[in-house]
Amino acid sequence: MGDTIVLNVQNLTKNYRGKTEPAVDNLSFQVPEGEIFGLLGPNGAGKTTTISVLCSLIKPTEGRITITGLDLHLHLNQIKSRIGVVGQDIALYEKLTAYENLLYFGTIYNIRKHELQQTINSFMHRLGLDAYKNQQIRRFSGGMKRRINLIAGVLHKPQLLFLDEPTVGVDVQTRNVIREFLIELKYSGTTIVYTSHLMDDAQKLCDRVCIIDQGRIIAAGSPSELIALHPECKELEEVFLKLTGRNLRDT
Amino acid sequence: MRKLIISAYKEALLLLRDIEGIVLLNIMPIVLVIVISLIQERSFQNILESKINVVIVDFDNDSLGAAFRRGIDKSNVFETTEIISGDSILLENARYDVARGKYQIGIFIPANTTQRIKMRAINLVQKQLPFSVSVQPDLIDSASIIRLFFDPITKPSFKNLAKSRLIEFAAQTETRIIFETYARVINAITNQSGLPDFPSEPIIRFEEDLVSEYTAGIIPNSVQHNVPAWTLFGMFLICIPIAGNIIKERNEGCLAKLKTMPITYFNIMSGKIIIFIFISLLQAAFIFLIGIYFLPFLGLPQLQIHHNWIALFTITLASAFAATGFGIVIGTLSSTIVQASTFGSVSTVILAAIGGIWIPVSLMPEILRKISEISPMNWGIHGFYDVFLRNATVFEIWPYVIKLIGFYGVCIIISILFRKYQVNR
Repeated sequence: MGDTIVLNVQNLTKNYRGKTEPAVDNLSFQVPEGEIFGLLGPNGAGKTTTISVLCSLIKPTEGRITITGLDLHLHLNQIKSRIGVVGQDIALYEKLTAYENLLYFGTIYNIRKHELQQTINSFMHRLGLDAYKNQQIRRFSGGMKRRINLIAGVLHKPQLLFLDEPTVGVDVQTRNVIREFLIELKYSGTTIVYTSHLMDDAQKLCDRVCIIDQGRIIAAGSPSELIALHPECKELEEVFLKLTGRNLRDT
Repeated sequence: MRKLIISAYKEALLLLRDIEGIVLLNIMPIVLVIVISLIQERSFQNILESKINVVIVDFDNDSLGAAFRRGIDKSNVFETTEIISGDSILLENARYDVARGKYQIGIFIPANTTQRIKMRAINLVQKQLPFSVSVQPDLIDSASIIRLFFDPITKPSFKNLAKSRLIEFAAQTETRIIFETYARVINAITNQSGLPDFPSEPIIRFEEDLVSEYTAGIIPNSVQHNVPAWTLFGMFLICIPIAGNIIKERNEGCLAKLKTMPITYFNIMSGKIIIFIFISLLQAAFIFLIGIYFLPFLGLPQLQIHHNWIALFTITLASAFAATGFGIVIGTLSSTIVQASTFGSVSTVILAAIGGIWIPVSLMPEILRKISEISPMNWGIHGFYDVFLRNATVFEIWPYVIKLIGFYGVCIIISILFRKYQVNR
């Protein structure tokens, strides 16, 4: 991990119109280059709102965000070329083939055609999809779609990658392949901000995690540090439950 | 530029893989053009060519009845059946036949009607002379009432047409009788015999000329109206697949993903705009070809489009822009496909109705005529009328072109502002 701060979030607050409580309340954290940073929390904690603000999908009410040293508000277009976003939803065109989808998303990042074709082939091979290159997405299984969705977000080799539940609803094998792929990305210099409900994944993958609840940070540190702070807990999941409670969170 | 090309390529692929949608999109307006043209052509022929069944009950049995019959036979508008008798039962039978629809009109000429006209003429002449002239037996100078019976379901237009023609025949007969009476009186004074011929042709005649700048003068008919009208309707109906495409893209998360990428909303929409405009132009060309080559096989007139290709292309392109913009704004503002397709189809039908697609604006009440001016389909149809019927150039249709492009611009601005509002929520 480098010393350069890739993501700097200062006093981020987001109030939705008509809501009395803020969805995100004065959140501050930093993510250095090459780190996998986990943003964890129960349903309605403010994870998706935080990610949406960081990806410029919605505007914050207050706070300052810099990505790769650039102010998000002032340099949005430059920042968009430097970040990658892999959402929880499969954001692919069902009637296009895997290759056509990736060609479309890659071209938007201004990647040269030859380079783009090479990257597509290489990533599809790495994630075990090269035999399905010319098959329409609607014929893919859930796990295959997730892998294509992931490739679509990293074609341009972003400096900062936002991942929202990238392994939800996939089998163990696919989860394992995705985890390995993310670690490879990390070693190639991509910084990753990762949200998940799967504490096991977070524990194995993240260098540092930040647990948020009701829009506020309630704990932060590496998984091993958080476990050490709570001697009665053996796993990150137990720490999480201890901090956020066992009550159901229906939003 | 690469982004625009790849966006258009993506949209083309998506559309090509929804072949059923494209076929429906093109077939629906074609079916409408054929069906509506056929229906309206029949109505048009009904008015101009089919004859009105008339029964004449002639108790007069003199010049007026004969003149009515001659005039009616010559007019090619009426098909006559005569009852020459003074039997009142026959009159009642004729009334009954009209009432049950056997005849659309019944004309009852009472006894002595001709004599009354003659008497009126004599009295008029008598007033001019210092001495008394007796050329006809005495009759009371009183008005004679010719009664007309109409089938209750006879169209008001038929009724008015028949009435005006009968009034015309009656006036002609009355003039002829007065002329002949005057002639007889003059003969009596001057001791001459024989009557001069009453001119059979009127001195004032009317000549029709269609004031098209095009030398051939295209006659407006159902095809000249319906082909451009339903082409426009079909073009605006494209708002439903456009809106569906946008909503699907949004619901699948692709639009949110694109918003995090270095591409503007206008660029994303431009890909759709290019493809849907191309589809609209293709649709219009296809319907025009149907109008030129296929409709004549169904006994309909051929669509006459002149050769002002630039003007025709310009008004078609402007209409395609307006229709595509309409689809973009519906897709942006609607939350679900059901919402968009309901609003899209209903609003297209309303815009078509008030825009003069179903019936020409000239037949609408004044208030609707004013309202129709806000419908983009009204601007489009007037542009097409100018090109098809007046052979207008692109410089003559520019007000419509500007309005249609302006409508497109307003739709796109609303869409962009709404997207910004959603980000700022």
